[in-house]
Amino acid sequence: MSEISLVEVSKSFGAVKVIDNLSLSIEEGELMVFLGPSGSGKSTLLRMIAGLETIDDGKLLIGGEPSHDLAPGQRNVAMVFQNYALYPHMSVRENMEFGLKNIGLPKLEIEKRVMNAARILEMDGLLDRRPSQLSGGQRQRVAIGRAIVKQPAAFLFDEPLSNLDAALRVRTRVELSELHQKVKSTMIYVTHDQTEAMTLGDRIVILNDCKIEQIGTPMEVYNTPRTKFVAGFIGSPAMNFFKFELRQTKNGREAHLIDGTTIPINLEIDGDDIYELGIRPESVSVSQAPADCSGVVKVVERLGDRTLLYSELNDGSQIVAQDSGISDIRVGQNLNFRLDQERIHIFDKNGNNVLNK
Amino acid sequence: MYFFNAQKVNLIAGAITILTVLIAIIWAFPIYWGIVSSLKPEDEVVRPYIELWPDTLTFQHYWFALTETQIGRWYWNSIVTSLGVTVLTVATSMFAGYAISQLNFPFRRALYWLILASFMVPTQVLIINHFVLVADMGLINTWAGIILPQLISPVVIIVYKQFFDQVPKDFREAAVMDNASELRILFKVYIPMNWGVTTALSIVTFIWAWNSFLWPFLAVTKTEMMTITVGITQVNDAFGVYYARQLSAAVLAGFPVALAYLLFQRRVTEAITLSAGIKG
Repeated sequence: MSEISLVEVSKSFGAVKVIDNLSLSIEEGELMVFLGPSGSGKSTLLRMIAGLETIDDGKLLIGGEPSHDLAPGQRNVAMVFQNYALYPHMSVRENMEFGLKNIGLPKLEIEKRVMNAARILEMDGLLDRRPSQLSGGQRQRVAIGRAIVKQPAAFLFDEPLSNLDAALRVRTRVELSELHQKVKSTMIYVTHDQTEAMTLGDRIVILNDCKIEQIGTPMEVYNTPRTKFVAGFIGSPAMNFFKFELRQTKNGREAHLIDGTTIPINLEIDGDDIYELGIRPESVSVSQAPADCSGVVKVVERLGDRTLLYSELNDGSQIVAQDSGISDIRVGQNLNFRLDQERIHIFDKNGNNVLNK
Repeated sequence: MYFFNAQKVNLIAGAITILTVLIAIIWAFPIYWGIVSSLKPEDEVVRPYIELWPDTLTFQHYWFALTETQIGRWYWNSIVTSLGVTVLTVATSMFAGYAISQLNFPFRRALYWLILASFMVPTQVLIINHFVLVADMGLINTWAGIILPQLISPVVIIVYKQFFDQVPKDFREAAVMDNASELRILFKVYIPMNWGVTTALSIVTFIWAWNSFLWPFLAVTKTEMMTITVGITQVNDAFGVYYARQLSAAVLAGFPVALAYLLFQRRVTEAITLSAGIKG
């Protein structure tokens, strides 16, 4: 178990800079999730920590020790690959033993570690099987077992659930969470799936365009997104965004939306400019009386515990509102929407949340 | 309409089958003719008309080849040199193929193109250089002298490279994370994952080495150091050529290769297919 720090690291592929002067610290025993869309640099960052990609500039400290110049096998980290990378010609036992034999561990110690990992992952009966004789979930467990036996300072997971079907993914996600509680190791987990990130991570690093947008606990990044990108990326369905002009009137400050709607804003913002208002669907409720804005329902999604209403405002912009699971609202109905003032986010023209600086 | 099409397909398939059988007969006839002739008395062989089956069946030429010549020694020389060529060629080629496929080093691509370019140089062009070199090293009439110049086999390197290229890079990265050295990655991951191609290339290399004639013919002058392909040219005497006797020696020379082919037919076919697009 060790803390991991990246200090002003940079990485280029040819002339393209993919990581630029990035600093990040992962605490001992923490499960940190790197979350971002494809091409955001999350896997590159993980591979830089693993040693599979070189670090052009900056430092990597594992347990306080400079590790950026060490070979991957000497960094004392273990990686679980997206495609498991189980050697097909070796049995499960041999797959797990391979790394330990390479470092010359005594036979008894190897046997002890393999049996221990097999017990933790409940795969004692699979040790003599080949990977081709295992299901996707079992292969995943073997890949994790191969990492566990190394007793590494940190576990690195590169989108480990993306090859599993939906049901198995949910089950394995829970198992991974339990595993983290059992082994209490530092873990870094790369994913593009926000549900995985929110459910697994102690903290989440949200990456976009090879830069960190925000680091925080799942609830922090959900409730107080620092940028419009984070606000839009986290949450399903995504946050509603509306462009507005902030005006000072005799009634106070008001947000003038493009469709002509005026929403009083009880928030302190410096200067008059074009801003964007963001609000999550669960903070947009249906009102019987005239409220902040109105629109026509285009699509109704009934999810059982709640109902999502995809509606069109007067100017043609979209709004997603949430109603109770027993809602009887139908397509084509004209509705009034109330926006929860306490849950409004305001972003400037650079996409920064002016309320959570 | 359907019936017509089915009939047409059957006719084409039948025609192709007949053509294939005809080609196979044309290809196999010299082998049949050689075997049959080696079982005839010498006077029957030189008769001016074609006889597809001997009037008198005799094994006297085989008895002669086995007892009156040094065929045992020639077999031994062929086995040693062919095994030597096979083991060394496959071993060096797997290292070279792995390096070119998986390692990063200066001029890697240049080396690859150089190996590819070597297909353009026929062995015959190099044979004088080889002879001078081997003679200078004092290796004429030795097994090493027969083996060394035959170790140049770009086709085996290229086939290995292509197969190693196809191994998903996750396996290599997993092994690197597992602290494996390059040698362990090669022997514990890449070779076991490519046993099929190693077996196929070994068999084909053995057959090439066993059948090779020109270089062993030049590198050896002493009868006792000859390989079987060279040795069978010695099965004659001062009174002229004995066709049946020579054919019996040739049949004996080809027997191990034919046996290897029968035993490992699938692998040999596979290897020939693998190298078909590459072999210069």
